[in-house]
Amino acid sequence: MNEVIQNYALPSLWAALASFGFTYIYNIHGFGKIICGFGGGMGWLVYLLGGSTIWSGFVAAAVIGVFSEIMARVRRSPVTAYLLVSLLPLVPGGGIYYAMSHCVAGETDLFITTLLHTFGMAAALAVGAMLASSLFRTIFPRFPRFTKRQG
Amino acid sequence: MDYDKLLDMATDMGYQLMYSGAEIYRVEESIFRLLLAYGLNEPQVFAIPNAIIVSVTTPEGHAITRMRRIPSHGTDIELLERCNSLCRQLCSQVPPLDEAQQSVSTLVRDLPQYSPSQVLMGYGLAPAFFTAMFGGSMRDTLCALICGVIVGVCQIYGGRLLGANGFFRTVVCSAVAALTSYWTVQLGLGDNVDSIIIGVLMLLVPGVALTNAMREIMAGDIVSGLSRTAEAILVASAIALGAALGLGAGQLF
Repeated sequence: MNEVIQNYALPSLWAALASFGFTYIYNIHGFGKIICGFGGGMGWLVYLLGGSTIWSGFVAAAVIGVFSEIMARVRRSPVTAYLLVSLLPLVPGGGIYYAMSHCVAGETDLFITTLLHTFGMAAALAVGAMLASSLFRTIFPRFPRFTKRQG
Repeated sequence: MDYDKLLDMATDMGYQLMYSGAEIYRVEESIFRLLLAYGLNEPQVFAIPNAIIVSVTTPEGHAITRMRRIPSHGTDIELLERCNSLCRQLCSQVPPLDEAQQSVSTLVRDLPQYSPSQVLMGYGLAPAFFTAMFGGSMRDTLCALICGVIVGVCQIYGGRLLGANGFFRTVVCSAVAALTSYWTVQLGLGDNVDSIIIGVLMLLVPGVALTNAMREIMAGDIVSGLSRTAEAILVASAIALGAALGLGAGQLF
């Protein structure tokens, strides 16, 4: 039980609070702050439960994508806000930093490995959220299709 | 109807949307629907991340075009949500033009903003909790809070000093983050320099560019999607470069 709290519950709580902190930077007001915080925590929890691999990053991004789409419909507001902040904890900031430090130290093997892992994680996030959002929109269309759109 | 005024109002709306960090398809579609609602036939709208072009043909067959450049901007979700709902309201009610113009211009004036101290609090809290999330100790968390506030000051007030070059600004902020984190550990305040730096760097990480790039590509705007992808990669390289410089400087002195 203690282990569960230490390894899963607490980090997710920190992720939620960190996402909450970001709502001040992106000027989000009202109930949206809580949604963003919750989304960030939930995404990180899914990522941890999946074993912190690129695949679990993909699944976490997909979960966040669906969550943001639902919340955007409930609150009748753009999806961007919720998606943006909730995905932030998953963005591989650590990967960028470790890749840099391996590069500076001249550890080429480790540098390439970390760099590719970072790129993989970023791609998994983008594709995961994209697929989930698109799938959700196909199943539950928001507006009647806008046929006259130019461009 | 005064079509010049209408075009002005619609372009203004698009400008505000773009300035708040909206996706390209949202900007294009909002302007398009607005012009349709005011009875124009086949308005043409084209937007890329730093410009909007709107062209309409009046019923007399006269073509008018307006183009507006968008300066570099951040993300302002409250403005985005308000623009979005105002646009919906204008499209469904179609008030007289002067009234519509009035409500578009009051949009920015009445916008609730956090005070600088609240924003700085956000800059402090986010890295503190990220450090805790990445397994930093209690003391690391406090260090990250201090370093985050310093980076926040650089981000908010350093803009005038560092100029409009986003790449350079990110390099400087990242270097400041690495240097202050290194110093806190040297002074014996923090335990693990890596977890503090990573927590603070999460402030600069190109999450916005990555999410937007993905959403642009999803909507079919490949040009904007690719330019935002390039932005994300550039910001990431700037972070790496800055952190390397900051740590190097810290080890020299």
